[in-house]
Amino acid sequence: MVHRGKSLKQLSYALLYLSPSLLIFIVFIFFPMAKTFYLSLYLTNPHGDPVVWKGIQSYVVLLSSEMFRKSLWSSLLFVFFTVPGTILVALALALLANVRLRGIAIFRMLYSSTIGVSVASAATIWMFLYAPGNNGMFNYLLGLIGLPKVGWLVTTQTALPALSLMSIWMGLGFNFIILLGGLQSLPEDIFESARIDGAGWWRQLRHITVPLLSPTLFFVLVVDTINAFQAFGQFNILTQGGPDNASNVIVYSIYREAFFNSRFGPASAQAVILFLIILTLTLIQFGVVERKVHYQ
Amino acid sequence: MLFSKRISKRMFPKFLVALLVLGLLVAGCGTAANDTSKPSAAGPVTVTFWHSMGGQPAKTLTAMVEKFNGSHSDIQIKLVYQGSYDDAFNKLKASPDQGPDLFQVYDIGTRYMIDAGLAAPMQDFIDRDKFDMSPIEPHVINYYKVGDKLYSMPFNSSMPVLYYNKDLFKAAGLDPAKAPSTFAEVEADAKALTKKVGDKTVYGFSQAIYGWFFEQYMARDGALYANNGNGRDAAATEALVNSPAGVEILTWWKKLIDEGYATNLGRKTADTQNAFGAQQIAMTIDSSGILPNLTTAAAGKFEIGIAPLPRGNNEVNSGPIIGGGSLWILKNKPKAQQEAAWKVVKWFLEPAQVATWTVGTGYLPINKAAVDQEAYKDFIKKYPSYQAAIDQLHNTPENRITQGARIGVFTQARATIENAIEQVVLNKATAKAALDDAAKKITDSIKEYNQTMGVK
Repeated sequence: MVHRGKSLKQLSYALLYLSPSLLIFIVFIFFPMAKTFYLSLYLTNPHGDPVVWKGIQSYVVLLSSEMFRKSLWSSLLFVFFTVPGTILVALALALLANVRLRGIAIFRMLYSSTIGVSVASAATIWMFLYAPGNNGMFNYLLGLIGLPKVGWLVTTQTALPALSLMSIWMGLGFNFIILLGGLQSLPEDIFESARIDGAGWWRQLRHITVPLLSPTLFFVLVVDTINAFQAFGQFNILTQGGPDNASNVIVYSIYREAFFNSRFGPASAQAVILFLIILTLTLIQFGVVERKVHYQ
Repeated sequence: MLFSKRISKRMFPKFLVALLVLGLLVAGCGTAANDTSKPSAAGPVTVTFWHSMGGQPAKTLTAMVEKFNGSHSDIQIKLVYQGSYDDAFNKLKASPDQGPDLFQVYDIGTRYMIDAGLAAPMQDFIDRDKFDMSPIEPHVINYYKVGDKLYSMPFNSSMPVLYYNKDLFKAAGLDPAKAPSTFAEVEADAKALTKKVGDKTVYGFSQAIYGWFFEQYMARDGALYANNGNGRDAAATEALVNSPAGVEILTWWKKLIDEGYATNLGRKTADTQNAFGAQQIAMTIDSSGILPNLTTAAAGKFEIGIAPLPRGNNEVNSGPIIGGGSLWILKNKPKAQQEAAWKVVKWFLEPAQVATWTVGTGYLPINKAAVDQEAYKDFIKKYPSYQAAIDQLHNTPENRITQGARIGVFTQARATIENAIEQVVLNKATAKAALDDAAKKITDSIKEYNQTMGVK
């Protein structure tokens, strides 16, 4: 009994110390989450008041809707297009920039510069690059080398790849900084002994750099995946989910349903499903991929 | 343990205070924003005016508001840009209590504003003051009239017109004084205008994938968009977009692209406008409101012609609908604010103000007397073809079709139609199948709207 009283007392102290952060979490994270789940069980009027009880019907309708499955598929494709691409290009740039040369700082700054560009300005710049007809920069360049023009954002085949290209460019800065930081913290003596043993550049990269860098690579993999699932700005500015829903990824579809169509119930249901997907993927990443990560 | 206990005992009251303060801050957020609009006994009444004008119209509006504020000591307008029509509308939906006194809402937000009970009906002010509405264009009033009542005051109004490049017409051997007036004529002229120069193609025609254009073609062809008289005799319960008129429009739209006389430039109207300005397309459809922009783009390069919106191949006496926005006085505001807002509305309707507005933006002069203003006379001298837009406004008969549909889910409906156009243009579905699907979706959302808003 004495022991129990003591632990209760400790718990209350713990809660007391945690209360500022708990309060913030409750107000900004837990309450909205609970409310989202609550709303997903209703049909709301356009002000967002729940008026018709639907139970799990919103989920049933969603999962059987072709448009929602298309959204899920577009999101997965977008993740698949952007995450490996961003990491590979950023890794290549980080390897290039990880040499001791006069003026290398200039290149490091250039390679990391996209971290300072907001998604809104980036999307606006790329809107001009992708402009259809003869007005866009990319189509102009294609014309110079005699290739046919591409309807970057206006055909179903090219819209999502075009958005992915822009998103890879956007993500390079952040990935580059993290990976370069990781590369620079690798112990030089291991490489030295590998070189004495006669390992070439590729062997060093394959068997020393990448394994030693794996905690950092794992970190960017998790962060990039979550970011890609939650990408919104470029979709809102460049395609608005079109054409024919080809780029209607799930986050954009949630926004559209909630704030454009004022259907907060079904939008909440989509949000809950997205949450479950990201949770599952993150658990898989921690359970499966992390085992391959080499911690020193 | 002893240490932490001592600290925590001393800290505890401070924690409580901190929590309390934080709580008050959070609670305070809800009411603090409204304080600025409270009337003070001494100073002038401030009318907060939310708008969604960008570019040239925003500059014109700001200059007009400065003029108003400079000439009125009892009322001051506080102009607040709230992003696009949709953004502004969503902000008001999310928290109606924090809204403005005067609010610019787009045409298609009318039904929701009324159903949500957000409006202090304009008609009450008009009737009480016996305000003379006869100088105001009837076609504009009829769009915003619900029953016999005006809930808002028309402000920025436009109609779709055909823009064409007179120089390219001459080069192709066409008469630049005679613009095409039917779908078949557009096709024939587009064929003559389409030219391959080197590896670049000049297309005869192109139009942005914009749901508003579809609505306008429907009205021009004498077809209803929704049942129950476009939702004006009783609340609409069904979308009629898959009628033969709708199918004819999309079939024609796709045919022009398939034949290579038009190209798909996507949803952004700005992309199509740029292509027209760069002479990559010879004809296009757009709002009468973009004439100043197009003229700037064409300056020194070519001459612009304006003609009424082309109709389908069956002769019908009908015309396009008004687009744009109107001004709403909000119901939940203090009397003093509403009265001040009403004075602002009346001021914007004066011929001098309407003329300034038209000259600065290209929106239609909604007060008939505005055309006698010097500013407008200079404007029409500079852009004589603008008269085609005015004639179209006057020639359109008044009925349920040309009044336009009144449904609460118009943003959704428009996006659904844009998706259908994309499906057709990109060969994903036939015109009939895409529109059947769109009609079903819009009908579903109308039903859901009626159910959740308690609309009978």
